[in-house]
Amino acid sequence: MTLLIRIFLFLICLNCFSYPLKKDYFFQINNDSIKSDFHKTKEFFIEKQWDSTLVYSHKSILTKHINQQKLDSLHFMRGYSFMRKKLFNEAILEYNLVSENFPEYSKILLNLGGIALEQNKYKKAISYYLKFESLAKKQNPKYYKSVESSFIHDLGLSYFHLSEFTNAEKYLLKSHSIQNQKQDTSVLIRTSTDLGNLYYEQYKDNLAIPYFLKAYNLAKNFHNLNLKMNTALNMAVVEENRKDFQKAIFYRKKFEIWKDSINDQNKVWEIASLEKKHAIAEKQKEIQLLELENQIKNSEKNKLILISILLLIVLTTILIFYIQKSKINKIISIQKEALNKSNNTKDKLLSVLSHDLRTSVNTLQEENSKLLENLNEKNYQIVKEIALKNSAISSSTYSLLDNLLHWISLQNDQLYFHIDSVDLYSVTKQIEYYYTPFFTNKNISFENLIPKANFIYADLDSLKIILRNLLDNALKFTNTYGKITIKTYSSENDNFQYLVIEDSGVGISEEKIDQLLKDTNSLQKKGNQKGIGTGLGIQLCKSMTKKNQGIFKIESVENEGTKMIVGFKKVKNG
Amino acid sequence: MAEINVLIIEDSEEQAQKLKTVLKKNKYNVIGIANNLQHALKLFYELSVDIVVIDVYLGENPDGITFAETISIVPNSIKPFVFLTSSKDRSIFERAKLTKPFSFLLKPFNELEVLYALEMALEKFYEQQNVFQSENENTIISNEFLFIKKKNVLHKVSLKSIIYIEVENRYCNIITEQESFLIQISLGKMKELLDDKKFFQTHRKFIVNNDAIQKICLQDNLILLKNNHKVILSGKHKDIIKKFQILK
Repeated sequence: MTLLIRIFLFLICLNCFSYPLKKDYFFQINNDSIKSDFHKTKEFFIEKQWDSTLVYSHKSILTKHINQQKLDSLHFMRGYSFMRKKLFNEAILEYNLVSENFPEYSKILLNLGGIALEQNKYKKAISYYLKFESLAKKQNPKYYKSVESSFIHDLGLSYFHLSEFTNAEKYLLKSHSIQNQKQDTSVLIRTSTDLGNLYYEQYKDNLAIPYFLKAYNLAKNFHNLNLKMNTALNMAVVEENRKDFQKAIFYRKKFEIWKDSINDQNKVWEIASLEKKHAIAEKQKEIQLLELENQIKNSEKNKLILISILLLIVLTTILIFYIQKSKINKIISIQKEALNKSNNTKDKLLSVLSHDLRTSVNTLQEENSKLLENLNEKNYQIVKEIALKNSAISSSTYSLLDNLLHWISLQNDQLYFHIDSVDLYSVTKQIEYYYTPFFTNKNISFENLIPKANFIYADLDSLKIILRNLLDNALKFTNTYGKITIKTYSSENDNFQYLVIEDSGVGISEEKIDQLLKDTNSLQKKGNQKGIGTGLGIQLCKSMTKKNQGIFKIESVENEGTKMIVGFKKVKNG
Repeated sequence: MAEINVLIIEDSEEQAQKLKTVLKKNKYNVIGIANNLQHALKLFYELSVDIVVIDVYLGENPDGITFAETISIVPNSIKPFVFLTSSKDRSIFERAKLTKPFSFLLKPFNELEVLYALEMALEKFYEQQNVFQSENENTIISNEFLFIKKKNVLHKVSLKSIIYIEVENRYCNIITEQESFLIQISLGKMKELLDDKKFFQTHRKFIVNNDAIQKICLQDNLILLKNNHKVILSGKHKDIIKKFQILK
């Protein structure tokens, strides 16, 4: 028996909070100007967020200048929230704070009744319900109608628990008839069960069994499995007590089937949830896979970027190197050309030089053997002649070598060079001193017409080299009994002092002069030349003059004579 | 007039003798020949040298330059010198050039070149250029000597031996204790180069050696000098007396 009652109580508990909430009232308050904690409380209340409602309502209550109506509604909302959170004692406290003038006070009474029923305080519940009945009928008949069947059911239930079966029967039947009219199957099943229980408790089995059967039949076609199960179980217990075991077994089986179907449902749920889990796991795996793929893709992307950057760097480096190399190559090719040129010049010089030196040394050898022969024969006149000839050869060889040395030093920029004021007279005298014996020997009349104290700017030693070479040339190209003159003239225009070495020699053709004055390092053998010579002398003169910032000129009339002219800067007050 | 004393620093005996012959022929007095650095320095400080001819290479090393560097360090001992060298190699010249005043002669050289190089060395050393080659001047004045070129021969005259100098047109007549001679030099240049503590101008035409003054006769406007020479003291130059401490 107790098992049954417990099941029923469970059903009732579900029932007590099923009174529909009237929202109209709260929307009325919406018009209030205070958009505040109160307003928020209201919003949370409507959204059934009980905790938030409690917090904001508390804040609102603490606010000063709040009118009674708002305070009542706040307490109501708090009470309701506590009730929904099953904190019944707090709910009761809050409900009690609501004044009786509160328009929805009937609801509070109904709720208080529900709480009392929940707490098994049936007498209290009955008093609340009765109060509610009288108040609601007056104040809020519409609402009363809507909750009438369940309220009367609860009232009946309260009497039932107090074993006041007459009252219980009265209210339950009333509820049953209302529900019958409303065709509210689920509630009807419960009420029928409750009525069954009521009669069964009083051992009025005949009255009870039809209600149980009605509940069972209703439940059979109803979707709620729990109701099916309970009604079937009730029928089974009833039939068992009637000793109609066949029927009892039938109902038991029905109960088992529904229980199983609940279990099946549970199993299905389990399987579904398992499947769901599985699907989720699958999805998770897929997601992981995708993530991994993404990672791989990303890393590949990064790799690609890195590789491209590296490639770019490498390419740039290569480009830079290439440009540099091509620049260097250009420079190298230019240098190579210059080098080749100078090397060719040097090769040519070397070949000409070695040829000349070979010739002159060979001549010296031959002359020396002749000399020895003549010495043995004591032919002193011829010995003297040969000795003079030899000395001439060696001196010209010497000057060739000297020129070579200077040429090389000049090319290597190894020559010490210092331009200073130099007296042209003294220098020509010094050089003349050296050449006098040769002039005499060749019966050449020599004249130095340069006046004393004639100062020019030049490097002394290079001036000497120039002079020696020019005199060498003059000596070479002037025939016996010829004439060589050194003179000077100055030009006011360019402030230069010109030194002229004039000979009465064979002269040089214009063409040859152009060739000689060409600014090249090429050396050529002169056609009209018997002795040694490479053209080195004239090149040296040109280079040395240039280095002295001077001017080099050749004037010549063929078969009459040549003028070699070198100009230097004049010393102003010299 | 005296011959100029030349010190030859040359490691080759033959070259030294050749040079000595040339110098002797041209009335130079070769006072000594050294063939190494130590010997050269010893002779240089012992003897009264007017000019030094230095071969750059003494043996393997350019000790000639070391010698020039050594005598350049002591400011008052340095004398004019000429480097002899057989090549114009830049590396050697860069070092030699630092010993200023710097003059050199390239080997081989003839007589005229040697003489020219010596004259150039004197001119450069006493910073009186283009004197010996010029037509109208031929004297370099140092602190101790007059170097005079007469008939292509250089002589020196000690400034101490000069009693007075008389100016005659473009010439100066130098009267020394022993002799008198004409040189071609302007009075202006003479005054500029002579030490004005030792030589005073007493007259438009006279410069007198302070040490040679024996008596000043203000009444007669005369100055009596050594060897009974007399010069006129003109009114314009009388303030030279202030340079003497007068005993009263």
